[in-house]
Amino acid sequence: MGTIGQHLLNGMMQGTIYGLVAMGFTIFFGVMNVIKFSHGDVLTVGAFAALVAVWATSALGMPVYVQFIAAFIAAMILTAVVGAGISHFLIMPLRNAPPLNMLLMTMMVGTLLREAIRLFFPNGTNPQRFPELLPAGGFSLGRSFFRFDALILIVAGVASIGVVYWIINRTKFGLAMRAVAEDVETARTMGINFARVIPLTFALGSLTAGFAGTIYGLYYSEINYGMGLLLAVIGFTAAIVGGLGNIWGAIIGGYLFAGLQTLVVAAMPSMSDYKNVFAFVLIIVLITWRPTGLLAERGSERV
Amino acid sequence: MTGRLIVQDIYTAYDRADVLSGLSIEVVPGTITCILGSNGAGKSTLIRSILRLTPPRAGSIAFDGITLDTMQTHDIIGLGIACIPEGRRIFAKMTVEENLRVGAYLVSSERAIQMRLAKVYETFPRLKERAKQLAGTMSGGEQAMVSIGRGLMTEPKLLVIDEPSLGLSPLFVQENFNVIRRINETGVTVLLVEQNVNQTLAISHYGYVLSQGRIVVHGTPAVLSADAEVQRAYFGGAH
Repeated sequence: MGTIGQHLLNGMMQGTIYGLVAMGFTIFFGVMNVIKFSHGDVLTVGAFAALVAVWATSALGMPVYVQFIAAFIAAMILTAVVGAGISHFLIMPLRNAPPLNMLLMTMMVGTLLREAIRLFFPNGTNPQRFPELLPAGGFSLGRSFFRFDALILIVAGVASIGVVYWIINRTKFGLAMRAVAEDVETARTMGINFARVIPLTFALGSLTAGFAGTIYGLYYSEINYGMGLLLAVIGFTAAIVGGLGNIWGAIIGGYLFAGLQTLVVAAMPSMSDYKNVFAFVLIIVLITWRPTGLLAERGSERV
Repeated sequence: MTGRLIVQDIYTAYDRADVLSGLSIEVVPGTITCILGSNGAGKSTLIRSILRLTPPRAGSIAFDGITLDTMQTHDIIGLGIACIPEGRRIFAKMTVEENLRVGAYLVSSERAIQMRLAKVYETFPRLKERAKQLAGTMSGGEQAMVSIGRGLMTEPKLLVIDEPSLGLSPLFVQENFNVIRRINETGVTVLLVEQNVNQTLAISHYGYVLSQGRIVVHGTPAVLSADAEVQRAYFGGAH
C-alpha cells in the first residue's frame, strides 16, 4: 500500500511517459494527418537500443553516468533514424493513398519491428532486465518515501517535453513544421523543402518515444518486446482525449490517463490489476462527452 | 535589373486533359505584367506551372537565364521568386509575425529578417500593432496585408500575385492595387494574375489575355482595352 506522495510520484512518472508517447502521435497527425500505429514499437526499439548501449558501455568498463547518457543517446538516435526512415520510404510515397492503407501499413511496420526484436534479440521472447543506473536511495517526507531515481526521471521527462515544445514553437525548424502542418502547398511556395521537413518531424516525434522507452526501462527495470503495444494504445488514447493535433492536449491527456490509473490503484488497492480497464472505461465516457477531445481546434499548438 | 521570366510553349495537365496548351509569356524586368482571364482559363495553373507545384509536361520556363525545368518548388523560391497565393492562404494558427517569418524562411540572417519585418510594418502599420495576434482571427483585409507582407519578406526579384482582389471589399481592392504599384516602384518585377480588368490594366505595363489555356491576345494596356477579344471576354460581347 502506498501513500498519497508515492501515488503522486508514480502517477507523474507514468503520465510523463504517456505524454511523451502522445506527443509523437499528435505531431505525426498534425503534420501528415497520419495515425502511426508503429509508434509504440519504435519506443520498444528505443528501449532495446538503450539496453544494448548500457551493456556495451558497461562491458567497456565505463562509469555509470556514461552508461546512463549512452542509453538515452542510443535510444534517441536509433528511433530518430527509424522514424525518419518510415516516413521517407513508406509514409511519403503513400501520402496520397487512402488513410486506411496508411493505417494498415504503419500497423504492419509495427508488427515487423516487434517481431524482429522478439526473434533476433538474444532471448528476445523473454522480458529483459534493465540495469539500475540511478542511485537506489531516496528520502522520506511524512509517511511517503520518494525514490531518487523516480524524481530524476520525472525531471528529465518533463524537461524533454519542454524541449520538444520549445522546438515546435520557438525554432525555425518548428516554424517550418507548423507551416507544413497547416498548408503544405503554401509552405512550399515559401521555400520550405517539405520532403526534408517531414522526415525530420517524424524523427523528432520518434525520438521522444525512444526517450520515453529509456525512462521506462530505467524506472521499471524491465523491458520486453511487447511493451510498446499497450503504451501505444494509451498514448494514442491520451492524444485523442486531449484533441489530436494539439501538443498541450497530448500532454494533458497523458497525465489525465495516468491520473485515472493512479486513482483506481489508490482508491481500490485490491483492484489495481484492473487499473487499465477502469481508466479506459472512464476515457470512453469522456470521449463520448467530448468527441473532439478536450482542447481540439482551439489553441494555436497544432503541429 | 533582374526578374526576367520566360515561359516557352508549355503544356500542363492534371491527370490527362491539358489545361495549358502551348502557352508562352515573357515578364520583362521592372514591369508589372498581368495575365487576364475568366474563371477556368488556366490562370492558376500557369502559376502552379511556374512554381512547379504542377510541373508542365512539355515546354520550358526560365528565370533570369536559369532553367526551372528540373527544379523543386523551394529551389525556385530560392532564386528570388515570391508568391502571394490566391485566397491569401495565410497560416491561420500562427501569429502575424510568425507568418512573416515563414515568408522569410530562406533568409538566414536574423538581422536581415528584423530589417525586413520593420519594412513590412512600415508599409502596413496595422500588422505591427497585431504582430502577436493569431492571423486566423483577423479581418479579410488584414489577412491580405499579412499575405502581401509575407511575400515581401525575401525581397524577391519577381513577385507572383494570384487574384489579389478576390473576396475583398472594393475599397480594399483599390488599396491593394496601390500597394502593388508601390512595390513595383521599388524595383520588384510583378506578375499579376487577375480577373478584374480595369484596375489591373490601370497599373500594368503589359498584359496577356488567357482563354482556354492559350494566350489569345497580348499587348500594352491601351491595346488590350481597345481589343475586341478583351471586350468580348469581359464586357459582355459589346461588339
